Amino acid sequence: MSALLEVERLEVDFGGKVAAVRGTSFTVERGETHCLVGESGCGKSVTALSIMDLLARGARRRAQRLSFEGNDLRGLSDKAMARLRGNEMAMIFQEPMTSLNPAYTVGSQMTEGLRRHRKVSQREATDRAADLLARVGITAPGLRLGQFPHQLSGGLRQRVMIAMALMCEPKLLIADEPTTALDVTVQAQILRLLATLQRDLGLGLLLITHDLGIVARIATRVSVMYAGEVVESAATADLFANPKHPYTQGLLRCVPVPGKIQRDQPLGSIPGTVPRIGPGFEGCAFRERCGFADETCAHAVPRHNAGGTHDFLCRLPA
Amino acid sequence: MTAPIAIEVKGVRKTFLVKDGLLSKPRHVVAVDDVSFSVPQGGVLGVVGESGCGKSTPARLILGLLEPSAGEITVEGQKILAMDRKARARLIQPVFQDPFSSLNPLTRVRDIVAMPLIAQGTLDRATVTTRVEEMLERVGLSREQGTRLPTELSGGQRQRVAIARALVLRPRIVVCDEPTSALDVSVQAQILNLLAELRKDLGLTYLFISHNLAVVEHVASDVAVMYLGRFVERQPTETLFAHPEHPYTKALLASVLTPEPGLGVPDVGLGDTLPDPANIPPGCRFHPRCPIAEPRCSVERPPLKPRPGGGVECLLVP
Amino acid sequence: MSTAATVAGPKRGWRNAGTWIGAIIVGAAAFCALFAPLLVPHDPFAQDLGKRLLVPFWMEGTDPQHLLGTDQLGRDYLARLIYGCRISMTIGVTVSIVSGLIGITMGILGGFMGGRVDDAVLFAITTRLSLPVVLVALAVVGLLGSSMTLLVLTLGLLLWDRFAVVARSTTMQVRNLDFVSAAWCAGCSRFRILTREVLPNIASHLVVVATLEIALAILLEAALSFLGLGVPPPLPSWGLMISEAKDYMFFSPWVIMIPGVALFVLVLGINLLGDGLRDAFGTRER
Repeated sequence: MSALLEVERLEVDFGGKVAAVRGTSFTVERGETHCLVGESGCGKSVTALSIMDLLARGARRRAQRLSFEGNDLRGLSDKAMARLRGNEMAMIFQEPMTSLNPAYTVGSQMTEGLRRHRKVSQREATDRAADLLARVGITAPGLRLGQFPHQLSGGLRQRVMIAMALMCEPKLLIADEPTTALDVTVQAQILRLLATLQRDLGLGLLLITHDLGIVARIATRVSVMYAGEVVESAATADLFANPKHPYTQGLLRCVPVPGKIQRDQPLGSIPGTVPRIGPGFEGCAFRERCGFADETCAHAVPRHNAGGTHDFLCRLPA
Repeated sequence: MTAPIAIEVKGVRKTFLVKDGLLSKPRHVVAVDDVSFSVPQGGVLGVVGESGCGKSTPARLILGLLEPSAGEITVEGQKILAMDRKARARLIQPVFQDPFSSLNPLTRVRDIVAMPLIAQGTLDRATVTTRVEEMLERVGLSREQGTRLPTELSGGQRQRVAIARALVLRPRIVVCDEPTSALDVSVQAQILNLLAELRKDLGLTYLFISHNLAVVEHVASDVAVMYLGRFVERQPTETLFAHPEHPYTKALLASVLTPEPGLGVPDVGLGDTLPDPANIPPGCRFHPRCPIAEPRCSVERPPLKPRPGGGVECLLVP
Repeated sequence: MSTAATVAGPKRGWRNAGTWIGAIIVGAAAFCALFAPLLVPHDPFAQDLGKRLLVPFWMEGTDPQHLLGTDQLGRDYLARLIYGCRISMTIGVTVSIVSGLIGITMGILGGFMGGRVDDAVLFAITTRLSLPVVLVALAVVGLLGSSMTLLVLTLGLLLWDRFAVVARSTTMQVRNLDFVSAAWCAGCSRFRILTREVLPNIASHLVVVATLEIALAILLEAALSFLGLGVPPPLPSWGLMISEAKDYMFFSPWVIMIPGVALFVLVLGINLLGDGLRDAFGTRER
């Protein structure tokens, strides 16, 4: 049986000027949490949007393979894609306020999708919405269904978004920085909820984040992205125990860990900033910030295997 | 033996009048509720809390951007509001969170950094130029970058410009309001290291406001935890992170996701009721979310229980 | 190596043909206004009663000396049209400067200071909005007699409301940005903050308002001149030309058509340019 989501050599550029995604490949299995981690501008959100076919106008998407449950997504008509979106695959965004329509109640927004994709009565749809709101830990779901988005707090709104994404029982849930706009205590609650739902419903979860702490706690597999490429991919435990790519290593050094901080010692950091990369760029995109770079890095970079499913993109041997 | 006091805040209260709609009565939102604290010269007081707890308000009060509704703020022995603004500028300077809105998009970098010097009105052009160049170099920006517009720089570079602007007058105190929360981790580490280095070299005092506990642990000598306008716990950094006493501090620490795989997402146990600064609960303001609250917590106001170098406001700690 | 690429953002405003048409019309009008004495073939005031109401070049029996013909007093129509353009542009720009100075000052002060100052500014704006512009202008000019200076001052004192409203609301937005707080903490004077930090950042909006006000002032001047209360004759204002021509419109329709079309084209051009500028600035700010 084919994997839930397969992405191979995905490329996205904007008007032929900026190469946002440059040959990203990864796979999301059923019932697995796959994290795409990277800094702003590394192309992780664009990757998610291009899977959902939600890219802005002017963006071009190419891929060697882009399939959902073995079905090719590339040639799908807008209509067929719309049927898939929200039904089989759903997405939640960083800022729940902007993804909810302020003019409609929570209830009408939640039921709309279900009524469009499945032929169910308003009554049934409302019942399901109330069930799901209870499921995502919202007390008094009946009351919340009649409220408008601005009457809810940030944490509640994100719960509503999650419940809404689950309305049609999707098989794949893409979450783009779902907790970045939230406070730490609420973040922990939302992530716990996502992890529980993922396990109970057997969802494939593609989680996009910049936070290695979230990755460590929730992911089954991790793909580290840099400048539009997956530079390292491994099972979570492998990646944290044995990071291979200099960027991953640097990133891990940058994160201050409470309780393990050596005050008066500078934090590890990566010099420079993420470069902007145009089409036709060759070699390793990290070479200008890398301590191990030499002249061979300006040319093609090999992908090494470091045992099992752990691979990375670097001239250094495994 | 003890260092002289740099910032002294006595019984400060700040309320805002908020109008929700045309017909609703204006409500008083309490941002800072009778807070007193002091920061010794050369110290770093970290203030942590969640959004909406009012943690930015002390910063704005100390900078003189807001007037307290009650109480008094003195900086190096002088009342902040009685001071001439130019003299205040030589003493205390801000670094704000958003490096995009904190720099005038139409002004060149070197003119932004020169602004505080020119505002003093006592320096000739040549002195201004040399001091600006020194400062830019000090924060790691090239002379060429000085001629650019902020829109041409990355987030980290912009924050360096903001730091240069804050330090060009050689102030004694810098108020940092979430200086790294808009930045990527690798850049965040660069900026934190720069701030730490400058503090050591120039003997600065920092008030450092952040929602990120790990960041605060790295930079601060003392930490105050803010909840709904009050400091519920204040301790030297090591003590607070090793032996948190207030249940809210414990919950905050528990919700930090360290990059340690296999631990899962912790259950913080705070419940769903979110703090509303317009409607502060009676008794202990944390009791509706507190996992260990007793009946008396909703009636009695917790007294400040002193600790060496701080104190805790909880009825349930000895 | 410089990684900062030049900003390649979409500049919808300048890609639009309308903007270019507007810019060309306004540019041509400004050129005519500036160099009118050098462009005209004849003195616009010289009467020649022997050559009254000559027809323009596209009709039969035209005099090659007078491309657009002559008016009822035998004055060269092209020369009068070009001088009329000069008057329209002068009035449009000066009125816009006067009203801009008043409106922008009030708007920025109200928006920045808030409190009582803002209340006063808001009161002034509402008061002004309740005055009928044309009637007040008619009354003033009717009472005090017509002259260019008086006309400019009257219109300038009446048309500042849009400047004030836009300056006030944009200032309120900019005031809350951190770079203004930083300037305050740096010890900059209020004047410096307003002129260096606030004004440049709201200027793009004000330029758009200015184009609209210029168009409005030109139309108002034409209307007042038509009623005989604007620019005093024999100055060749377009409104006055239309007014003088109305007696001859049945037998010599071009005398009313030519200044009418000129007025329409100029106002259209200014508005097209204003729309284009608004779009161009709008995308940049996002």
